[in-house]
Amino acid sequence: MQQGSGTTKFVRADGPDKVTGSGRYAADMVLPGMLFAAFRYAEVSHARIVELDVEAARSMPGVLAVLTDDDVPDVRYGAGVADRTLFARGVVRFEGEVVAAVAATTPEAARSAADAIVFEYEELPAIVDVEQAIEPVSPLVHAGWEDYEASTERGHNVASYSSITLGDTDTALAAAHTVVTSRYVADASHAVPIEPRAVLAQWEGDKVTIWSSTQVPFDAQAGVCETLEMPANRVRVVVPHLGGGFGGKCGFHFEAHVAALARAARRPVKLVFTRREEFTAPDRRREGMVIELTSGLDADGRIVARTGEVLIDCGAYIADGAFFPQVASMHIAGPYSIPNVSIEASLVYTNHQPSGSVRAPTAPQGCWAVESHTDELAETVGLDPVEFRRLNAVREGATGPSGQVYGPIGLLDCIDAAVASASYGTDLAADEAVGVAVGWWPTFAVPSGAYVKINGDGSGQIITGAQECGTGSVMTLCQLAAEEVGLNPEDFQLVYQDTAAGPWDMGATGSQTLVNNGRAVVAASQQIADALKKLAADQLEASPDDIELLEGQARVVGTPAASIAIGELAAIAAGGELLLGHGSGPPPVAPEISATCVGDQGMAAWVAPQFSCHAIRVKVDRDTGVVRVLSVAAAHDSGTIINPMGAQGQVHGGVLMGIGQALSEGTVYDDRGNQMNPGLLEYKLQTIADAPPISIDFVGVAAPDGGPRGSKGIAEAPNVATAAAIANGIAKVVGARLTQLPMKPERVWEASSGAAEAGGR
Amino acid sequence: MKINLNVNGVTFPVDIEPDRSLSGVLRNEIGLTGTKEGCDDCECGACMVLLDGHPVNSCSYLAVQTDGRQVTTVEGLADADGLAPLQQAMLDAGGVQCGFCTPGMLMSATALLSENPEPTVEEIRIGLSGNLCRCTGYAKIIEAVGSDAPST
Ligand code: FES
Ligand code: FES
Repeated sequence: MQQGSGTTKFVRADGPDKVTGSGRYAADMVLPGMLFAAFRYAEVSHARIVELDVEAARSMPGVLAVLTDDDVPDVRYGAGVADRTLFARGVVRFEGEVVAAVAATTPEAARSAADAIVFEYEELPAIVDVEQAIEPVSPLVHAGWEDYEASTERGHNVASYSSITLGDTDTALAAAHTVVTSRYVADASHAVPIEPRAVLAQWEGDKVTIWSSTQVPFDAQAGVCETLEMPANRVRVVVPHLGGGFGGKCGFHFEAHVAALARAARRPVKLVFTRREEFTAPDRRREGMVIELTSGLDADGRIVARTGEVLIDCGAYIADGAFFPQVASMHIAGPYSIPNVSIEASLVYTNHQPSGSVRAPTAPQGCWAVESHTDELAETVGLDPVEFRRLNAVREGATGPSGQVYGPIGLLDCIDAAVASASYGTDLAADEAVGVAVGWWPTFAVPSGAYVKINGDGSGQIITGAQECGTGSVMTLCQLAAEEVGLNPEDFQLVYQDTAAGPWDMGATGSQTLVNNGRAVVAASQQIADALKKLAADQLEASPDDIELLEGQARVVGTPAASIAIGELAAIAAGGELLLGHGSGPPPVAPEISATCVGDQGMAAWVAPQFSCHAIRVKVDRDTGVVRVLSVAAAHDSGTIINPMGAQGQVHGGVLMGIGQALSEGTVYDDRGNQMNPGLLEYKLQTIADAPPISIDFVGVAAPDGGPRGSKGIAEAPNVATAAAIANGIAKVVGARLTQLPMKPERVWEASSGAAEAGGR
Repeated sequence: MKINLNVNGVTFPVDIEPDRSLSGVLRNEIGLTGTKEGCDDCECGACMVLLDGHPVNSCSYLAVQTDGRQVTTVEGLADADGLAPLQQAMLDAGGVQCGFCTPGMLMSATALLSENPEPTVEEIRIGLSGNLCRCTGYAKIIEAVGSDAPST
């Protein structure tokens, strides 16, 4: 099995900071004269504001600023739909909506002042059920939605609608040998980075510097520019070390609130979230979904048609969810060759916390539904689930459900590798089973940029806009640069996650860093390599085309004795034309598709798609409903693996997050839209004691339209097929399908006892 | 209230309110921010420090209770010669991603290894079960703590 082309040893450049405690995270930052921020939240999920009086709070000791909607520019923002304001305006639409913000000399003074704000409201009916919300009789979450600026397909409580249509499903279903319909419901869940977010802002003249625990500094900068009406070159966003994100820290959140407080108070202001705030306030939560799908099979078990309808709980504001319906539709279709497809999906406003991209948005839920359905299909036609998938899975030259024709891909290899690693098919105890599921996820092809320089002493510097959220993808850039210019990765230092230093990058989102910023770093490094070859050619009296850069030396190919150290060349350059490179490189172009897409968000044509197969062995206690994951075999086609240790870390972490989503992580709401479990005591993450052994196979099919060396993304894919494979294992043991995620003990027990009764056990 | 806080072998006289948490005082008064705060309910272990060698969640420990006792934080692990073997093992194994859980993990693992220098995987899983990590799936952390144990 291919284990990656790069070096296997990888010690991350930020590692020493992180193991010694010397590395600073946003909450660790302190500035002279710094104040502390506190927010007043709605704490009601739908209400009309009757009175908002901040006078008493303003006059409390130690309070230097109190802000509401009246104190910031009149700007409505939002990607796809401009439905959001910094502070609540007239109406509050979820419990964590910010009504007012305070800056004071101590955290306690800020909290007391926030509590002293007079906030009176008239409660409105909470819209919490997506199926009811789309009915024309349902009250609206946004009464004035038709006046919002928008670029999505919208409707009654629908923020974004998409459909994918290929072929003719009516005719194909009518002619099908077997037709199966399923319905699945997924609860919302959370990203839960261990670091709660923190933001610190300081003004100098008309310029502001914001230190933020964001995954997307340029997006945060753009949000500040838009809402505070400032040009990009006066807003600098710097991310100290980032304590994880998983999508929870994507998007623009509170940077403008803190900047506005700091401007009003004329002091630096710091905001640090509690865990409860981290659960309730950001526009980020993994969306709940209701999924209905129908498939028609021919007599051999080939899927000939699929229809589906998906309702996605948007929550109160669109955040970055405009593309969710289309990517959810692709997951309901699944990585299968289906000639007739008709799937529609709607992102439905409710009075829940807004949903936003959490590690492969909509995918684990969609995959869980479609892969549960796939096992049902296999059973109906009497095929083994693995054989059924081998029969229908997309492969090189095949047409996928959006009409995309695939180049070299490794889904079948993933299936073979995972079932082999899991010893699929061997006899197990009656309370154990191996469930299998396949998944996929796109690679995001977006612009990105980087500078590379070689200093006079031969040391290198990469200056990039890319963001490190823990995955090691930015750390791996040193390896790419080193390979291009013939130095060692350790010869490079990084300047990163600072909007004033590096060129634009999308951030630690969409598993895109190594693919896109890697492309930029390679392009920048190639300029330096060219310059080094010219310098060496002059020194060695050879042609630049005959120079190779290796192991710190520039050498004439075939004449190893004719060589000069790159350090020496750097010293020569330092006295003349400096060694500077800049790069971006054109992003890969989206492939052609033949499906018709209403509300197209560009998510049906997938560049360098990633594939996976997970085979997971579970043990189910039928009496208690408790499920234990015994082992996981994860096989991934993530293209060429550049940093094996980093890639393995993504699979380990993604799989464990997927296990949490499968078994224990679900947000529970009361009937008025308030979260019942916004804390780590009630919202259970997987611990080290729960963690099963995970075997990993990277099947390593180089992607012609991927990133450097044929790489694809990797960070999101590993939790896509995890809940699905667990579900299929549970169903084998208990003899019934679980139709709601997470598959908590009481739900497993219910399904198990229902099946036992039906079967007369 | 005036107390003497002994942290990593250095005594810091501090004057604090009696309700202050140890993590808060370490981070704000003493200026050692390696100890992290990840929750409000004693659930994440990011704030783990050693008190007379025993791991405690410093977010829920009153600073005044540590008067005259020895507190060890992540900043106390490396010495002038460089990283402690466990720190190096964490880096070599790839047990560090975002690093936010890392200080707490290191402190729990240090306590575990000082009591049980050759823990089995099961013992590592029990010893570190109070430390949440969202990034690594724990696999490489288990590897690191295991590899630091002297092999015989
Ligand atoms: S901060 Fe989470 S346990 Fe102390
Ligand atoms: S490394 Fe990020 S939480 Fe453990």
